[in-house]
Amino acid sequence: MRHYDRGLSSKVFDACNYVFLTALCIVMLYPLANTLAVSLSSPDKIIRGEVGWFPRGFNLEGYRYVFADSSIWTAFGNTVGYALVGTLIMLLVTSLTAYPLAIPGFVLRKFITIFILITMFFGGGLIPTYLLIRKMGMLDTFWVMVIPGAISAYNVILFRTFFKSIPKDLWESAYVDGANDFRILFQIYLPLSKALLATFGLFGIVGAWNGWFDALIYLNDETKYPIQMLLRKMIMETDSSSMNAQTFEMMATMKVHSKNIKMSTVMVTIIPILFIFPFLQKYFVTGFMLGSVKG
Amino acid sequence: MRSTIWYRQRYLLLMSIPGVLLVLIFKYFPMYGILIAFKNYDVAAGILQSPWVGLKHFYAFFNNPFSWRIIKNTFLLGLYSLFWGFPAPLILALLLNEVKKRFFKRWVQTIVYFPHFLSVVIIVGFLKEFAALDGLFNQIGGWFGAEAAPLLAKPEYFRTLFIGSSIWQSVGWGTIIYLAALSGVDEALHEAAIIDGANRWQRLWNVTWPAILPATTILLILSLGGIVSTDFQKVLLLYNPSIYETADVIDTYVYRQGILGAQYEYSTAVGLMLSVISFLFVTIGNWISRKFSETSLW
Repeated sequence: MRHYDRGLSSKVFDACNYVFLTALCIVMLYPLANTLAVSLSSPDKIIRGEVGWFPRGFNLEGYRYVFADSSIWTAFGNTVGYALVGTLIMLLVTSLTAYPLAIPGFVLRKFITIFILITMFFGGGLIPTYLLIRKMGMLDTFWVMVIPGAISAYNVILFRTFFKSIPKDLWESAYVDGANDFRILFQIYLPLSKALLATFGLFGIVGAWNGWFDALIYLNDETKYPIQMLLRKMIMETDSSSMNAQTFEMMATMKVHSKNIKMSTVMVTIIPILFIFPFLQKYFVTGFMLGSVKG
Repeated sequence: MRSTIWYRQRYLLLMSIPGVLLVLIFKYFPMYGILIAFKNYDVAAGILQSPWVGLKHFYAFFNNPFSWRIIKNTFLLGLYSLFWGFPAPLILALLLNEVKKRFFKRWVQTIVYFPHFLSVVIIVGFLKEFAALDGLFNQIGGWFGAEAAPLLAKPEYFRTLFIGSSIWQSVGWGTIIYLAALSGVDEALHEAAIIDGANRWQRLWNVTWPAILPATTILLILSLGGIVSTDFQKVLLLYNPSIYETADVIDTYVYRQGILGAQYEYSTAVGLMLSVISFLFVTIGNWISRKFSETSLW
């Protein structure tokens, strides 16, 4: 039907629209392109501020430095651990909790649903949660990064809604055949919920990959830091505006600029997300549509 | 015994245990911990045994010379974020909807979605780079004769930088829900409007807009509640004492007093006030929406 839009003002609008959207894409891409370019440029070009879209004076020292730094490898390992274990626990606990709530005759269905829904509107807040975690002796442990966030009312409701949409006949016939609920969940419901699990799994992993605040308040031991905490330290420490002419001179003669290292670390942190981005994109709408289904 | 419903549903009950326990421990215990806002918390004695002090910590907050400043900052940052940040994805979705070349549309979408998946730390890293004395923003300002300044050390630029970067990161992602609503519009409605002589603008107003109005209303109610709960993790990464004048918000204040300063009771009291205000905002937003339209959260 759009071929009806042939008037002059309509054409002007279209032209402006294309120009605007192209400009928007440039604005979206520049910070990423610039980061990549700086990470690959030589120190003297960085100091003179000559690096824009493309690297100037090709230089891999930043990456060499990053890969030689054992604290970065440790942080990567930690992050992968938190992301995978945390997401697995989240999927498991959420499925186990949501399944009984999707079964019509379950005695505690109403009670547990309300019990969980309340936490959607009320919470203890930052300090009481911190005090509880401290009292339980969970500070500076691996588990503080994966257990407290394992369950959320929002996820349980979405899982329950999804499970409800699975035909009840399947459940009934399996039940008549003598399968117990664990078997029904793991062998019938979960295999039918692959899109749901993939959506929450991928988004959970990205969330854990990007998280830093829990680590800031619950972890003191730097060997347990996730990668974002390391990045935070670099970004907070190096402040180019406080550098004087002498340090400029010094930096120019060196093979590597602090910005090389910083930008290389940023790139190394972004690359895994770039890799799973195409898979994520497949589930964007699923994820959003799940959110729009009423509970 | 064997015939009771509890026995028959033992597997279902067993399944519920881990989730219910986690919710009880990590969601309900902290709610109970709010009691310390009215007490003098004694770690050794525990929450129950600690002595009551009534509203002492709340009075302390309102007698604090900085309390007005952080309340004002919280509201202003939230209001401006809503004012600039809410229409942005809506407008972008409408513009994308007018694009006829599918290939171009797909590319634009892919590019604008991506920043959503970057961490706040990286966004703040970009911002610090661009806002520095020799950064991009000062170079651009220089073309227009503006004097170079370290922008993140100037209180007057904080809100602009904070909100601008938030829009940069989330405008694309925010279009998804509108585009999904728009894809549900029946082409026949457009065709009927064209036959009736409606131009492009009239079709936008009479066909497209009603299709996304319900989604818009729900999102607006939700963001009304979010006015006071700003993205304080980002503030925490961005601010420094020289711009507390505009950047310090209630949540960052709670973090500094509570976690760094160990004033647990006082900061719990401040946090509690914030949650109450936030809850009131959602309720009011929902009430307004139910009064004037058919869409509401509950």
